[in-house]
Amino acid sequence: MTPPSRRAFAAAALASLLVGCGGPAADRATNEGRSSRTPPPAAKANGERAAEALGRSVPARLLIPAIGVDTPVMGLGLASDGTMQVPPITPDDRAGWYRHSPTPGQVGPSVIIGHVTVGSYGDGVFRDLARLRRGDTVTARLENGAAAEFAVSSVRKVAKADFPADDVYGDVDRAELRLITCGGTRTGDGYLDNVIVFATMTSARGA
Amino acid sequence: MRRTVLSAMALASTAVLATTVPAFADDATPTPVPSTRPTEEAAPAPAEPSQATRTPSSAPAPARTPGQVAVVPEGAPDTGVAPAASRSGTGGMLIGTGAAALAASGAAVFVVRRRRVTGA
Repeated sequence: MTPPSRRAFAAAALASLLVGCGGPAADRATNEGRSSRTPPPAAKANGERAAEALGRSVPARLLIPAIGVDTPVMGLGLASDGTMQVPPITPDDRAGWYRHSPTPGQVGPSVIIGHVTVGSYGDGVFRDLARLRRGDTVTARLENGAAAEFAVSSVRKVAKADFPADDVYGDVDRAELRLITCGGTRTGDGYLDNVIVFATMTSARGA
Repeated sequence: MRRTVLSAMALASTAVLATTVPAFADDATPTPVPSTRPTEEAAPAPAEPSQATRTPSSAPAPARTPGQVAVVPEGAPDTGVAPAASRSGTGGMLIGTGAAALAASGAAVFVVRRRRVTGA
């Protein structure tokens, strides 16, 4: 075998190895790293400013401009096993408000959840929830025409096995919002982590 | 001798490719879409004053009288069903790249043999 043919063969072998080993794995690693963050330190004054609480009215729509979310909101209760219901797996995925929590704008932690992915339909309504940053705005429009505006105070990624129920569902002395979806490593059964956005109401517009 | 070494190298690279693709394919195995859990009708919630008296189950909830969240759910919300379609698409892409790599290896072997035959 002549030197050129040897070089050609070696180059082809190397190229085939590179083609075979590249691909989506690197992309996945980038995405995983991006969503890992810790709660930021102390809040700014404007982000924590308490606004006057609203009366009870179920949420009809949720808007999160920073990640392009504008979704109807459905009511969710408890499943037979005591876990929270989740929105159905449909192409027009939407967020769901946990109806045993306060409505957005009431004093207390109002809980809204959404899918990160919806099986064969692709991305869920909360696909980019982990990209929210402190100070980003979340607006909940209520059925009675009122609207509550919240500012993100922290974004946490937690293992499902260590879900911080007290932090999420515990009593608070002002109107707050919890947005929850899945995240982290994906396994055959789903995701190992939850992404939780904590937000505080900064203003309210009455009906 | 060199021919033998190079042939072994071609076989080795093919073997690596053959094992790489299944490794990805394993990760991309589509999972059955679990049936959605809702057993209650998903409709705008009416006021539920009576539920304030229900006690949170199991967990040793420290004497939390009916809290702002009237009923604390069990566990963590399951809000992610693996995107089966996109994952099978990824598997298809991997198979395609693997096939392309095998074709490249084959072409290399062909060129080498042909040069050998023609004495180049």
